[in-house]
Amino acid sequence: MPSILDAVSSHTPRLTAALVGTPNCGKSTIFNALTGMRQKVGNFPGVTVEPKSGEVHIDKTTTRLFDLPGMYSLTPKTPDEALSVTVLHGEHDALPKPDAVVFVMEGTNLEKSLFLYAQFAALNIPTVVAVTMIDGIKASGGVFDDIAMEQALGVPIVGIVGHKGIGLEELREHIALRGFSRPEAAENQIPVSEGIEAQYQWARALAGEVARMPELDSLTTKLDAVFLHPVAGPVVFLAVMLLFFQSIFAWATPVMDAIEAGFGSLQNLVDAVLPAGVAQDLLSRGVIAGVGAVVVFLPQILILTLFITLLEDFGYLARAAFMVDRVMGVFGLQGRSFIPLLSSFACAIPGIMSARIIASEKDRLTTILITPLMTCSARLPVYVLLITAFVPPTMLGGFLSLQGLVLMGLYFLGGLSGLLVAKVFKVTMFQGTKLPFLMELPPYRFPTWRSVFLTLFHRTKQFLTSAGTTILTLSIILWALGEFPKHQAPPEASPIQAASLQLEHSALGTIGKTLEPVFAPIGFDWKVTIGVLGSFAAREVFVSVMGQVYSVDVSESDENLRTVLRSAISLPTALSILVFYVYALQCMSTIAVMKRETGSWKYPVLAFGYTLLMAYGASLLVFHGARSLWG
Amino acid sequence: MNEIPVGSKARIVTYTQHDSFTERLREFGLIPGTIIRLLRKAPFNGPVEIQFRSSRIVLRPNEVTHMLLERIA
Ligand SMILES: Nc1nc2c(ncn2[C@@H]2O[C@H](COP(=O)(O)OP(=O)(O)O)[C@@H](O)[C@H]2O)c(=O)[nH]1
Ligand SMILES: [Mg+2]
Repeated sequence: MPSILDAVSSHTPRLTAALVGTPNCGKSTIFNALTGMRQKVGNFPGVTVEPKSGEVHIDKTTTRLFDLPGMYSLTPKTPDEALSVTVLHGEHDALPKPDAVVFVMEGTNLEKSLFLYAQFAALNIPTVVAVTMIDGIKASGGVFDDIAMEQALGVPIVGIVGHKGIGLEELREHIALRGFSRPEAAENQIPVSEGIEAQYQWARALAGEVARMPELDSLTTKLDAVFLHPVAGPVVFLAVMLLFFQSIFAWATPVMDAIEAGFGSLQNLVDAVLPAGVAQDLLSRGVIAGVGAVVVFLPQILILTLFITLLEDFGYLARAAFMVDRVMGVFGLQGRSFIPLLSSFACAIPGIMSARIIASEKDRLTTILITPLMTCSARLPVYVLLITAFVPPTMLGGFLSLQGLVLMGLYFLGGLSGLLVAKVFKVTMFQGTKLPFLMELPPYRFPTWRSVFLTLFHRTKQFLTSAGTTILTLSIILWALGEFPKHQAPPEASPIQAASLQLEHSALGTIGKTLEPVFAPIGFDWKVTIGVLGSFAAREVFVSVMGQVYSVDVSESDENLRTVLRSAISLPTALSILVFYVYALQCMSTIAVMKRETGSWKYPVLAFGYTLLMAYGASLLVFHGARSLWG
Repeated sequence: MNEIPVGSKARIVTYTQHDSFTERLREFGLIPGTIIRLLRKAPFNGPVEIQFRSSRIVLRPNEVTHMLLERIA
């Protein structure tokens, strides 16, 4: 074996190493374990679409580690693969050519990994090979011989179970001691330039020598017989969706009530401790009412995160893409677009990024343009607030909550509209060149509790941080705009009347009233208008504005915000608001990421424009339709 | 591909055209000589799932016209 330390000259203690491997082989899991970071992992190809960098500290040595998107070969077919190949060739603008590579191989599909290795060996970058999913080999009754593999490849091999941490200590040692060796293709008889067929034959022969595997993983076969069954499959799919929407109301409400009560007592405490005046007002009606109104929705956000994480980690997402490919085809898209679209139900930003797994540029742009119509988690607080206020908690047939169904309807409305819009784009701007659909189905894997828990923890932290920074800042600004200039209420006015007079004559009231005529046709009064305008900074702001605007009513009447809203807003207006939020792209970050991913302002501007038009048009229809129905 | 019934096997004989799609198929391991099994078809002429060695992939049968197959069972 060529000498250890051959990559590092003695005066460069810092080393740059990259994780390289086929998609979904466990690279990000290793990256997280080594750097202590929390990169997203998931059981489908295309989770990591952008290189992520982190530092590994072992025994006074520092290594800069890159997590690269997976690739099937060195001749890239999708933008995410192209990026990895560019980095490996040292041609990336921002990232250096790595000094060394941790080549990650999927133990349960060694020949695919070895094929990539045959092409990669041509670059002759110092390498250590990490073979993951050793647990998977053992579980299906296979064996793996790391010594034979080390002999054949001439580079160090480490067997790993990524999410359990097995073998990672050994990998860390290799990194700390710079224990990498060059692949030396000629010496080790690796067919680097003999063509795909020869490379695969070599990979198959070697895989057969070093590992023995039953051909098919039987668990996956059995589960697919149900999940991909032409009848049972869609039924399971719908049942899972129903369960999700039900749980948003059934399980989250008690926790929500508790959080709400907590903020209520905090408000009472502030009112009791601080003397009446600006400070008390700022804390109680600005900060607590504004931020509290948003934090209340943490349980829903967590249920949504849990649901998406379980689906992703389990390996169901790629199956869903298979099942909906036919439907996507009707709208001019293909199953691959389903993955970014589904991610967008958590947040449009990762959705837009993961559109990089789509090979066809036209499909990728179309997909990016419709991601804002998928209901992201920021809309959830707005939906839940209005639904709990206006839809009775009736149980249909004893177990189906009407509220859950309405929520599901809003998700479907957004999704279906998105597909229709895609069709319009496909027959106008982006017609032609259909690229074939091709996707791997990963084996089912059971998520570890640890990883699920960490994801939830991470999401909680993120949500509370945003509530404590963005929402807090906006709450204070909105409060100040609502408090000043001061208006002297007549002495006979009740506290509620005084507060509403103050708001009406404040700067905020003036802004709302000036713009009211624009939104009046869709049933928004000036208070709702302020909420909707604030939402262009972040959608949750609507909830926090409602919390502030009605904070006096809430504390005077001892009712919660939902009950107060029911009497303050009419049903047609509530429906109109809901529909407006289904369509409108109210998110600065989405616009910024769209600009970055498409390289032009054209697409974010187009997306903003068409969603706003749809929002206004649909609200107009719904508002007047509802008014003529319920008078 | 359209003529192979669900559950049966076929051998890849050759590719009648070379483009980036057939290259990707070969990079997935679908090289001539490989035996594939058609696991299922999605309803309404949807995509098919094929299995070969340790991989499972899905594709649309009318898009893989350049893969020449020979039924073996
Ligand atoms: N059974 C098993 N699963 C693993 C192992 N390493 C990663 N996984 C799972 O494999 C999937 C893909 O992992 P990820 O790190 O995202 O792969 P990447 O696409 O290469 O970055 C995830 O569901 C992981 O939880 C392992 O050693 N054993
Ligand atoms: Mg990854």
